[in-house]
Amino acid sequence: MIAKYLSLIVVSLMCNSALALNASLGEELLQENCRGCHTPIEQGLSRISQQRKTAEGWEMTINRMRTMHGLQLRHEGMTEVEVLGALVKHLADSQGLAPSETEGVRYLLERDGNRTESFEPLIAETCGRCHSSARVALQRRTPDEWDRTVDFHLGQWPSTEYSLYGRDRPWLKIAREQAVPMLAEQYPLESSAWEAWQEADKPVPTGTWVLAGHIPGEGEFSALMTVTAEPDQPDRYRIALEGNYADGSELRGSGASIVYTGYEWRAGLSLGDLELSQAFALSADGRAISGRMYQRDQEQIGAPIVGIRSETGSRLLSVYPKSVAADQESVITLTGSGLSADNVSFDDLEVVEVLSDVPHRVQLRVRNASGKKLALQNIYVNNEQTDVNVAVYQHVDDLQIEPAYGVARIGGNGGGAPKLEAVFRARGISWGSDGVAGTEDDIDLGYIDDVTWQAVPRDETAKHDNDVAFAGDMDARTGRFVPAGAGPNPARARSTNNAGNLNVVATYQQEGRVVEGTGRLLVTDQRWVHPPLK
Amino acid sequence: MKHLKPLNQKARQLDGSTTTAEVDEVVAMQTVVQCTATTDPGWEIDMFGSVSGLCQPMESDLYGCSDPCWWPAQVPDTMNTYPNWTDNAPSAAKDWRNLESIYPTDDSKS
Repeated sequence: MIAKYLSLIVVSLMCNSALALNASLGEELLQENCRGCHTPIEQGLSRISQQRKTAEGWEMTINRMRTMHGLQLRHEGMTEVEVLGALVKHLADSQGLAPSETEGVRYLLERDGNRTESFEPLIAETCGRCHSSARVALQRRTPDEWDRTVDFHLGQWPSTEYSLYGRDRPWLKIAREQAVPMLAEQYPLESSAWEAWQEADKPVPTGTWVLAGHIPGEGEFSALMTVTAEPDQPDRYRIALEGNYADGSELRGSGASIVYTGYEWRAGLSLGDLELSQAFALSADGRAISGRMYQRDQEQIGAPIVGIRSETGSRLLSVYPKSVAADQESVITLTGSGLSADNVSFDDLEVVEVLSDVPHRVQLRVRNASGKKLALQNIYVNNEQTDVNVAVYQHVDDLQIEPAYGVARIGGNGGGAPKLEAVFRARGISWGSDGVAGTEDDIDLGYIDDVTWQAVPRDETAKHDNDVAFAGDMDARTGRFVPAGAGPNPARARSTNNAGNLNVVATYQQEGRVVEGTGRLLVTDQRWVHPPLK
Repeated sequence: MKHLKPLNQKARQLDGSTTTAEVDEVVAMQTVVQCTATTDPGWEIDMFGSVSGLCQPMESDLYGCSDPCWWPAQVPDTMNTYPNWTDNAPSAAKDWRNLESIYPTDDSKS
C-alpha cells in the first residue's frame, strides 16, 4: 500500500462539504472527542488549554492522539477526516499564534526545508536534534507543559539519553533545569501579542490580489489572484489565478483556500498539470499577502511569493530580472498595482518598446542610457522613488547557489516513499566598482537563469564511490535534480544505497568569460515520517 | 589511536577526522531542517559530513536502529510507537518495499 502524503490541511480544502466551521461546532467536537481523556479544568480541557500552536501543529497533536492513544474521531454525519479538519480549525483559531509569534520561523510552515537553522545551542541540541528547532518555536506552553514535553520525549524515546548529544551529558537534568526555563520564558502560553491579536480586526482576503513570484520549472510570473468567499463556510475561499510568465506565456489556475487564526492562508490549486500549495500570511492591515508556493508532492520545490491588493493605488511590487546588461537591450517586467508605461520611470534607462501595459504588469524593452557600465537604477512610479531597483552591469563576477545546501532523497523503486527532488537557482553577484568580493559596493544581480548545471563529487570518497553516476540526474538546463531509486543497489560496493555526497555547480558564460558557483547537494535515504512541520 | 592502524575506509575517516573543517561540518549539520543531528550513526549524513560512514546499505542495520528509536522523526521507532512497522518486512534488505509511511494516518482522501 502506498501511503498518501497529503497533509490534512490541503485535503480539507478539497472536501466540498457544506460544513459550517463555527466555534460552537468546534467546542462540541472537543467535548465529544477529547473529554474521554482530557479532564475539564477552569480554562477548558486539561493539557489542551495549556498550549497554543499553529494549525499544522494542532493537526500533528491530534494525529498523535490517534496513533499513540487510539483516539477515534467521531461526530454524526462527519467522517474522521472532517472531524479532524474541524477540530484543527477550531483550535488554531482559538489557541493559535499571533503573527509576530511566528516571525523568523515561518520557513517551517512554508515547508521550506532546505535551510540551516540558527538557534541557541541549548535549544538546538536538547530539542532540535531529531526534528527542527522551529517546531518548538511554533508552540506556546505553560512552564508545566514544557516540563511535561520533556517527560513525554524521554518516556516515548528513551534512547534520547544515550544517543549522540544525549549520553555525553546529564540530559534529563539539563532538559529540566535549563531547557525548560528557557522555553517557558521564550515561548509562554500567555502573551500580549496573542491577547492583542485576538482583539484585533482580522484582514479580509476577498477581492483581487496582484502576485509576483517564481514557479520552478515554469518561470517568473505576474498574476492576479481573485478570492471569493465560499457561501456558508466562514474562512473558506475559492481562488482563481490568471497571469503571465516573463516570456509572455499564459498562466491560469484555480483552487481553494482556508484561513486559520485570522491570517494563516493555506491554499491548494491546480495550474495546468501542476498541483501547487500556498502557505501564505495575510498582513494585519489586509493589504499584503506573502509566503511560499510549492509543489504539493515535492514540497521542497517552491519559491517565495509576494502580493498586494490590486486596488492599492500605484505601487511597484517587484521587477524581473533585477539587472540589465550595460551594453545591450533587455526586457524587464514590473509587477504591481496601478502601473502603466506612462507612470513608471528610471534614473537612466531608456524605454525602447512597451511590450505589455496593464495595471498589474508592465513589460518594457529598455536600454542603458547612463553611460556607466555598473550602476543601480532606481525605479519611480508617478515620480516617487520605490524601494525596487534594477542594476546595470557588465559582468557577473560570482554566482551564489540557492539553496546553498539542498537535500534530495532516494525513493520509489517499488517502495512507498517517493523520491524527493531538489531544484537549484543561481544568484548573480557583481563585486562592484572596487572589484573586490564581499565589500559594501557588491550588487545583487538577481537570479541568472541561463546557467548550466552539473552535479560533481564533493570529496575524494564521493569520487571514488562514483556517487555522481549512482545518486541521480541533474538537468543541466533547469537545475532540477531527480534522485535515483531507493533500496540496496548491487551495482555498488557493499550493495549500498544510491546516496551521494555531491556539489552542484552552476556555470555562466558571458562573452567568453566563465563564472562558476558551487553549492551542496546531499542525496540521502528516504524517510517514513512526513509531518507537515519537520 | 597511536598504536592502532586504520585498515578500511571507515577507520581511516575516524582516524583523521580532527581538523576544524570536519568539526565545523558536524556543527553545521546540527541545524539543517529535516535531517537528524544524531549521527552516531546518522540517518541522512554521517558525523563527518558524508554518506560513506552510514550503514551500507542502510537496510543492513535498519532495525538495529529503528528499534531503539534512534531517529524517530525520520524512521518509525518500533520499541514504543510503531511496534508493528516491520511486520510485513522480516528482512529489511529483501522486504524494504513493504515498509510503509506512518504519517499521515488517513487513508481516505477526496
